Amino acid sequence: MIGLAPPAYDPAAPTEATKLPVAGTATVRAYIADLARRHRKAFLLLVTVNAVAVIASMAGPYLLGSLVEEVSAGAEDVPLVRTMLLFTAALVVQAFFIHRVRLRGAMLGEEVLADLREDFLVRSVELPPGVLERAGTGDLLSRITTDVDRLADALREAVPQLAIGVVWILLLLGGLTVTAPTLAPVVLIALPALLLVCRWYFRRAPAAYRSEAAGYAAVASALTETVDAGRTVESLRLGPERVALSDRRISEWTGWERYTLWLRSVLFPVVSLTHVLVLASVLLIGGFYVLQGWIGVGQLTTAALISQMLVDPVGIVLRWYDELQVAQVSLARLVGVREVEPEAGDADERPEGRAVRADDVHFGYRPGVDVLRQVTLAVEPGTRLALVGPSGAGKSTLGRLLAGIYGPRTGRLTLGGAELARMPAEEVRSHVALVNQEHHVFVGSLRDNLRLARTDAGDEELWEALAAVDADGWGRALEEGLDTEVGSGALALTPAQAQQVALARLVLADPHTLVLDEATSLLDPRAARHLERSLARVLEGRTVVAIAHRLHTAHDADLIAVVEDGRITELGPHDQLVAAGGAYAALWRSWHG
Amino acid sequence: MQIRDLPYTDPGEPDTRSGPRFLFWLGRMQLGGQFKSLGWGLLHFLSIAALPYGVGIAVEAVVAGESGGLAVAGGVLAVFGIGVAVGDLMLHRTSVTNWITAAARVQQLLARRTAVLGAALTRRVAAGEVVAVSTGDVEKIGWFVEALSRFTAAAVTVLAVCAALFVYQPALGVVVAVGVPVLALAVLPLLPPATRRADHQREKAGRATELASDTVAGLRVLRGIGGEQLFLGRYRDASQQVRHAAVRSARMWALISAVQVLLPGLLLVGVVWYGVHLAQLGRITVGELVTVYSAVMLLAYPLRHFEEIAMAYSFSRPSAQRAARVLGLRRQDAGADGDTPGATQDVVPRGDLYDPATGLLAPEGVFTAVVCGDPDLAGRLAERLGGHAPRDEGDAPVPSALLGGAALDELPLAAVRAAVLVQDKDPVLLSGTLAELLDVPSSGRVSGEEALTAAYCGDVLEALAQASAEPDGDPTRTRITERGRSLSGGQRQRLALARSLVADPPVLVLDEPTSAVDAHTESRIAGRLRTARAGRTTVVLTSSPLLLDGAERVVLIDGDAAVAVGTHQELLHGDPRYRAVVTRETDAEQEAREDRDEIEEKA
Repeated sequence: MIGLAPPAYDPAAPTEATKLPVAGTATVRAYIADLARRHRKAFLLLVTVNAVAVIASMAGPYLLGSLVEEVSAGAEDVPLVRTMLLFTAALVVQAFFIHRVRLRGAMLGEEVLADLREDFLVRSVELPPGVLERAGTGDLLSRITTDVDRLADALREAVPQLAIGVVWILLLLGGLTVTAPTLAPVVLIALPALLLVCRWYFRRAPAAYRSEAAGYAAVASALTETVDAGRTVESLRLGPERVALSDRRISEWTGWERYTLWLRSVLFPVVSLTHVLVLASVLLIGGFYVLQGWIGVGQLTTAALISQMLVDPVGIVLRWYDELQVAQVSLARLVGVREVEPEAGDADERPEGRAVRADDVHFGYRPGVDVLRQVTLAVEPGTRLALVGPSGAGKSTLGRLLAGIYGPRTGRLTLGGAELARMPAEEVRSHVALVNQEHHVFVGSLRDNLRLARTDAGDEELWEALAAVDADGWGRALEEGLDTEVGSGALALTPAQAQQVALARLVLADPHTLVLDEATSLLDPRAARHLERSLARVLEGRTVVAIAHRLHTAHDADLIAVVEDGRITELGPHDQLVAAGGAYAALWRSWHG
Repeated sequence: MQIRDLPYTDPGEPDTRSGPRFLFWLGRMQLGGQFKSLGWGLLHFLSIAALPYGVGIAVEAVVAGESGGLAVAGGVLAVFGIGVAVGDLMLHRTSVTNWITAAARVQQLLARRTAVLGAALTRRVAAGEVVAVSTGDVEKIGWFVEALSRFTAAAVTVLAVCAALFVYQPALGVVVAVGVPVLALAVLPLLPPATRRADHQREKAGRATELASDTVAGLRVLRGIGGEQLFLGRYRDASQQVRHAAVRSARMWALISAVQVLLPGLLLVGVVWYGVHLAQLGRITVGELVTVYSAVMLLAYPLRHFEEIAMAYSFSRPSAQRAARVLGLRRQDAGADGDTPGATQDVVPRGDLYDPATGLLAPEGVFTAVVCGDPDLAGRLAERLGGHAPRDEGDAPVPSALLGGAALDELPLAAVRAAVLVQDKDPVLLSGTLAELLDVPSSGRVSGEEALTAAYCGDVLEALAQASAEPDGDPTRTRITERGRSLSGGQRQRLALARSLVADPPVLVLDEPTSAVDAHTESRIAGRLRTARAGRTTVVLTSSPLLLDGAERVVLIDGDAAVAVGTHQELLHGDPRYRAVVTRETDAEQEAREDRDEIEEKA
């Protein structure tokens, strides 16, 4: 069988729905045009420097051609010294400008790349919290890592190299035309076959290379997971399965390697034969011209040497062209984030007072499916409200509505009379903060980790905040204090410490209303108990909505709402609910004995 | 070996005594492929080197005015042209095959080694190293092994060209023979600083990527509480540092490129100068001059392989050393060094589970709950109950747990793992679909559906159906992201519990299986768990009253020893220490209660 179909399994195929938009062609074009405008000067400089290098590189063939002409004509006084000095001078110029080309190319690529990745992060941090909550951070994360990496490869090498290669080819063809105008068209003989094969190849290559790269990454990630889950793998006796999985990943990856190798097996011979064909045509047809006396032997020599030089730039263009296509896909994903409208919010929507009210609120993530129904609730300032109920009943969703992340489908949800969902995110967070079990510790100093809540806070205030959550003990024990690098790759904080940092941020941010979504559920019971004590101090005087998975939190609250199947089924203080003998009472008895 | 035959059925037993030995072993394992690559490489390079010969004949024919010579030149070019094309294609195919087979072999070896090391890996520094080998080193190792054949072909070609020139025209031959080694070695001193700068750039780039992904990972926190500008500024700094490092690295590579143009060019000038002189004297023809010029120009191509092999070796040597170190790791515990985990058909021990260190007894077929005030102590106890616990060097030896009177540490690892399943505090959900997640070695007694119901996973299934890429949203075919990051802590715990229930081992040890699950759900799980484990030995380490209430037998461990045994209700009313631990009363509350009890007693 000649030819190879691409493997059936594509490791680069998306495994979950893309949750953020991918830019269309028009947006990507507009963005590229904008980038080009921003870097026009650097780009022109690169092309100029490159042109000088290429022109200098043609001095050798040209000088040799004229020498051949004269020697073969039997000239006695060949200006050898002068010619050789010229040759050397041209060589030095070429070497110097090649140096500049490489350097300018890298500088341009790096600048564009820095612009791109910084732009992307600027856009990312402007995403509305609701969009983030819905889309999760996974999609965004893969864009900032995988797509930025792919673009880095393309911009660092492909764009400058392609610019260099194309200019190089044009100048060589130009040099050929100047040397022997009648011979230049001969170069085009091999062009149709080359173009045809290139078209075939580039239609298939970019997607195939993407799948191949994804397949290779999957080999490594399977192994990484086995290492990471060493304990789980051993206890569940998954060793043989993991080995089989790795082998399967290898066969999926090598399937794509085999396919891309086949693509190149078509392209490469055509490219090599094109080069030889060009050289042979120039020599034979040119030789015929010389025999006819239409051109001189020197012209022929120069033309033959220049056509030999075409190998390098053609190789460069072919090598980098598909990277550019891959880069386009990644660029569309990066630029796509710009299509999410930043929620401006209504700056006039200002709360008066701190009372939180929900009035017949309905809410659902998908049309037609309401997760919350008929929720009516009033939380007076300073009240501690606990939300309890089974998983999936809608507690967390209600918490997010109360924190202004989502707006209700129908009904009104207000803070001090102002509709939460219509307020700008910056305004909302000065009043309400949501704390969930995801206590992210940022890579960086402990100081940065705290200061994000109040960027103008001095060290003293930071220590006070740490003291308020009982964290100044271990904080002071750190050798470098607030300068200690924490987060992944540096000092790993225990879950309890991470939670304390999150709470210290709250102390600094100082919102009057807090929504705690199972904030301590990932901690072991002993740490949780300790922490709840420091938490109590932070919560003093604030309105608190706590989504509780431990009943003692509910017990301590002023008001308990039992959420079942999207509705509030029981509402009242602990003693009242226990006395009422409903679901909460039953649970309390089995819990407390 | 062809790519389509991969993966290897047996990747072999590597020589891990040192890095170079490992490289040598890899090369030896695919010797046939290496020789194929060498042969095609010779055809390719020699054909390229021979092309100038045709050019020379053509020029000569033209000068002499013979059209017959032109035809000969055409024939010569056609022959060598086909040689170039075929050689290029086959060299590429064999080189890529060599690279892939070497890389695949190392990945397979790594997979087998990690599967054997299992839990022993997580305790060692080695975990990071294994990942480093798999993600970065494999490529470099494969590169060197593959490049060696290409380099050999190129080196032979360079020698052949020099020799041919020497025979053809000794004086010119000498000029080239002296010039070539200088060319080959000239850039070598520049390579180490260049690679150092490239490493520095990669390091900076890694740091920037880390900051970016870290910022994105914590974006919800940032959006919820502020500080976006602080983090953007930080990222801009890092991003600009990458730019500076990259430009600094490019400066060095630009210098290398310039040298690569200048030196061969100077050799060319020398050759032409001397050649024209010889031609004027009539010692060589014009055609021969063009041949020599053209040959020296093309020599730059095989010469590049000298630099490549130097770089490939300097990159791959530390990589190979690390790979050899990782592949040479062995488990320390006795009876665990069987290289095929889980394959042994040893008799699975059974009976009561007993821990001599604490005196904890878990009778066969009984649902036992253990309360242990200290979570670290509980973790160590759970590990001990599973046998073959990974131990740090210098740890005091602790007596092995006994199952049916047999010391678990003395039994073969495979038999012990088949008998006792320990689900630790932080079980990892391996990525894959839900169906794949639940596809673990099991007795077959408990179906996935039953396990999911017992662990109360209804809402997890709903969430997975929602996240599904397919319209029909079959939750069992939805992929769970790595470590289940898209799920909440409670959901992850319940899925892990369902997986352990599917495995249905004779003895199941669960360490805080529901600590992140809300009380409503936990109380439902407690009942179903006991039903699902009916007739089997189960040990749950927990302090949750809801789980404890569902256990047949509750043991309280205080300090290092079991101090009380009973049911939850008995202990709750009879043992103040127990009450303090499980109901989380503060000291003040406890005193108040005791006072009240006293008053009641007096009354």
